[in-house]
Amino acid sequence: MIRFFDGYAIERMEELDARKLKRPLVKSHLLEILDGEEARTNQGLRDIFDRRGVRLEPLEEELFLVTDDQMGDIGFLERLRPRIVALYSTMKSDELGRWVRRLVLDSPEIDHVWLSGATFGVLWELVTRLSQPHRFTRLVFTHESIFDVDGAALEPGEDEDEVSQDPEDEEVGQIKERRATSFRLVDRIGVIQEKLKELQRIYSPLYAITQLRFPSPVGPGGHDFYDNGRVTNRSQSFRDHRSHLLYVVRIYEQLLKSTEEQAWYSIQDSVSVPGQFHKIVGAPVVIRFQEPLNRVVFDNWIRATFQSKRNRFRLWGHPIRLGPTKVHVYGVDCHLWQPLFLELTAKGCIAIIPNGTCGNTVHRLVTNIQRYLDPGAEAFIGDKPYRQMVEESTRAGEYEPKAE
Amino acid sequence: MSPKPNELIRDPLFQLNALLWLAQPLPKKCEINPLLYHKGFTVYAVAPPLPVPLELRLMAQEAQIEMQASVTPDVVLAHKGARKFAFAECKANSFGPTSSAAEQAQSLLVVAGPRAADVLGLAPGQVADSLLAFMTPQTEQGPLAKTLASLYKELNAAQIPAGKFSVLGLVLTEREVSIAIDDQASAFFALPSGIDCFIRRAPDTDPRPIYFIPYDPDIDQSPEERKFCRRVLFERIQSTLIAAVGHAHAPCALSLNSDKILNGAMFGMYEKWENRESAKHLRELCRKLMNALMQAVNCEAPNSITFQPGEGWKIILEHSEQQEKVLDALLRFSCVTLDLQTEPQAYLFDEMEDSRPSGAGE
Repeated sequence: MIRFFDGYAIERMEELDARKLKRPLVKSHLLEILDGEEARTNQGLRDIFDRRGVRLEPLEEELFLVTDDQMGDIGFLERLRPRIVALYSTMKSDELGRWVRRLVLDSPEIDHVWLSGATFGVLWELVTRLSQPHRFTRLVFTHESIFDVDGAALEPGEDEDEVSQDPEDEEVGQIKERRATSFRLVDRIGVIQEKLKELQRIYSPLYAITQLRFPSPVGPGGHDFYDNGRVTNRSQSFRDHRSHLLYVVRIYEQLLKSTEEQAWYSIQDSVSVPGQFHKIVGAPVVIRFQEPLNRVVFDNWIRATFQSKRNRFRLWGHPIRLGPTKVHVYGVDCHLWQPLFLELTAKGCIAIIPNGTCGNTVHRLVTNIQRYLDPGAEAFIGDKPYRQMVEESTRAGEYEPKAE
Repeated sequence: MSPKPNELIRDPLFQLNALLWLAQPLPKKCEINPLLYHKGFTVYAVAPPLPVPLELRLMAQEAQIEMQASVTPDVVLAHKGARKFAFAECKANSFGPTSSAAEQAQSLLVVAGPRAADVLGLAPGQVADSLLAFMTPQTEQGPLAKTLASLYKELNAAQIPAGKFSVLGLVLTEREVSIAIDDQASAFFALPSGIDCFIRRAPDTDPRPIYFIPYDPDIDQSPEERKFCRRVLFERIQSTLIAAVGHAHAPCALSLNSDKILNGAMFGMYEKWENRESAKHLRELCRKLMNALMQAVNCEAPNSITFQPGEGWKIILEHSEQQEKVLDALLRFSCVTLDLQTEPQAYLFDEMEDSRPSGAGE
């Protein structure tokens, strides 16, 4: 597979250089498989996909050929870490994106790898350390103030959700501007590094990084990471692409682990007299908005989220109104089907994650709040900044030796 | 929704949850300022049953002082580094030295005293300092402190070692919920004495935090507070059920009983409930909601949920379409349509279910 994709990648890079791309680039989609007995075995993994009409045919240990009952061959799937798999495909990005979104939407055991603006902020710093300042990189910032409108049509219908999230498709096309701040920044790493922090201070949507390119250390181009776990190989080396996936995935897995270790709430026996004393352990997830939401935006957010089955936050609950801009929701994460208790106010959000709820719930919440409500929102697990947790998680990752 | 000031801060469940939040890790500038956590205190135990040392009970008997065999403070907070333990009890009102609550208070004074390490099952060196802390509205702070002083004096006269005590007074204003810290609490918790805000409140807004413990049949609440807490419990039960159905792989059948559902809804706290009558009351509430949910679901997807006395509920999901229908019905249902004030009726087969091991099912 690696040899095939390596050869394929070189051909595509030559076509890109000639500005005549004949076939799509290699895309990877990083997917989180909900932790559990079933997902740990290869047979279990096959069963999870099988239930959605997707067949995994083993090729090597941890590597499968992916075939959809309706659409035929999709690509290859590799288990990179116990909880994270990568789907490699050369399908057109729209087509593949739709297929992956549908798969995730229908499967409570499968979720995107959610890279929030805060996570990208840390990854960006790694890019600056790992690459020479003269290399070019690309950042995309996306903030859609979908709740800051007068009308009520805030949530997507089923079809709207199918539209590609990527405004700038890989082959051709322009950024389409809607009710959104969405723009692409391409420049040398050194130049961006010098200016970005100051720009973010002045204009908060610049915290909402939704795409980031890791320049390839083995040649021109790089690897474009998207906030929903999609990664496009724009380098000539698939091996390099895969090593970048592994690097980010290690960080993400560590982040998931530490989120769950700290945030899970449960009643546990005290150590001193087991079975006698019970204590509450866990830490709330706190998200603080940079500026309080106004009443209209708050109401739109609550209405759109809890009155629409297919809302962007994938949440269900009956809000208990406690004031003009305060509600409590003892609800459910409707993607992973796990309970989640929320206090939502104009100033932020407090989430209580019961024991067993996947850490991905937290990362999706942070990603969506930055994208749709407040790009400069700060998140904490207990009293620990989320950004610090991401930074600590990066220390668990390893990187291939730098080469320019 | 703005609660009556006195009603909320008198409510023992609000007090208990406020106390738990005071010891949670939270960032600075959060709406809740966890004053005790910032000083190093965390939750050591929730409602631990603590035996009063036998020889102290005998001494109390000889001195004709009423003393309980064991006592259950609402929360024990601990500072691991400083080896300090605070035994906290929430009270709606003050009480006099001859009231029935005085017996409990005297027992608490003893367990929070020099014998605290024994009581907690720790080596003597593991407890450097201990305190009994009552939480009550500030208006009750003075009278309660007076009662405690009188009870302490009585124990002291009988040479029964008792602990230090303090009374934390809750204050609710238009803009905040604060805590009035007396000199004893100030010295123990290393907080400045006086009034300190711990929940900031937006105008016309109910200041209550998310409830860790959503419901407690053992406590006295106003009808409004009881109704609110029952709704929270029902929302949590419903979310537990939705999560179970959403997570299932059709075709399958889920078996659930009230033990399992209540544990899911209460972080596993239900199975620790010691008062069997209260546990029974919780099961009755659970059944009330489950019956309503069963009716709502079976209207949409007939015979999807069945109930077997002594067994519990079986949810049949033969195919994904049925699962979708069941989920749709569960998601549409709202417990606000139920009568949340009337007490649930006793259930004939409860003892059968009660005798099942906790968490059995599926």
